[in-house]
Amino acid sequence: MASSSSSTPHGATERRGIPGAQFVEDVQTYLNQSGLDVNSALAFLQERLQQYKLVEMKLLAQQRDLQAKIPDIEKCVDVVATLQAKKDTGEALIADFEVSEGIYSRARIEDSDSVCLWLGANVMLEYSCEEATALLQKNLENAKASLEVLVADLQFLRDQVTITQVTIARVYNWDVHQRRLRQVATSSADDS
Amino acid sequence: MQQGGGSETEVTWEDQQNINKFGRLNNRLHELEDEIKVSKETNENLEDASNELILTDEDVVRFQIGEVFAHVPKDEVESRIEQMKEVTSKKLEGLEEEKDSVVAQMAELKKILYGKFKDSINLEED
Repeated sequence: MASSSSSTPHGATERRGIPGAQFVEDVQTYLNQSGLDVNSALAFLQERLQQYKLVEMKLLAQQRDLQAKIPDIEKCVDVVATLQAKKDTGEALIADFEVSEGIYSRARIEDSDSVCLWLGANVMLEYSCEEATALLQKNLENAKASLEVLVADLQFLRDQVTITQVTIARVYNWDVHQRRLRQVATSSADDS
Repeated sequence: MQQGGGSETEVTWEDQQNINKFGRLNNRLHELEDEIKVSKETNENLEDASNELILTDEDVVRFQIGEVFAHVPKDEVESRIEQMKEVTSKKLEGLEEEKDSVVAQMAELKKILYGKFKDSINLEED
């Protein structure tokens, strides 16, 4: 999936549906351009922050799922490889497997050219060992690639969160500074 | 980010990028610390397993492959465990190296950012 980016000055690119945070060069200019007063600007930025947080939670959940899926696929690849190795020796593979929680039984797995793979949605298909290995490897690669893209998405998102947090702090500070200036101006006007 | 007392230090795009980079590195540091912990545990488990193996007098060991315990001759189990230990050690080494690099980069960025912003910025762990 290509990452779409429409770049505008400094970092307001968006990535796969996540809006970029616009970097503010100068607070005064930003407020003038957007036509917002300080409180509205802060409210808008806070809301953006909340939206980012929501997306972050969703992405983190997806990441956890993928991170659990990958070791599972690797285990399957291991099992198929073991079956293939055993096939060459001509012996049967004896294994203890879990029938129910805490209850194990012994199985004798004879030579076999094929394995069955659970594809999900109550579907299981029989494959030759080679085909099974190929399919599992492909799934593993896809999962790893998806994870990479996801991690990049999360990094982009976290950058936007940081930019927004810094902007909020700067707008707030600018406001405090303005108030101070006004206070100094009015008190010196009173003195004169 | 700590809110300063209305100071006028301007934040440039370069500063923002440094702050972003610091954030990314910090996240990566936490991930690395977790991964290192898991790797160390796996290493310990493998050590314990190979020690147990030396003590046992059975020739067939139930070795976990996937979800089942296959009956594997002791020698094969020994070599498998050795191999797994090597893989985990290498991985641990790589992780530690990456962690050192991340910590160094973070220290650099701290110097730069504290240098410019002094009290207006807080880069410490809460």
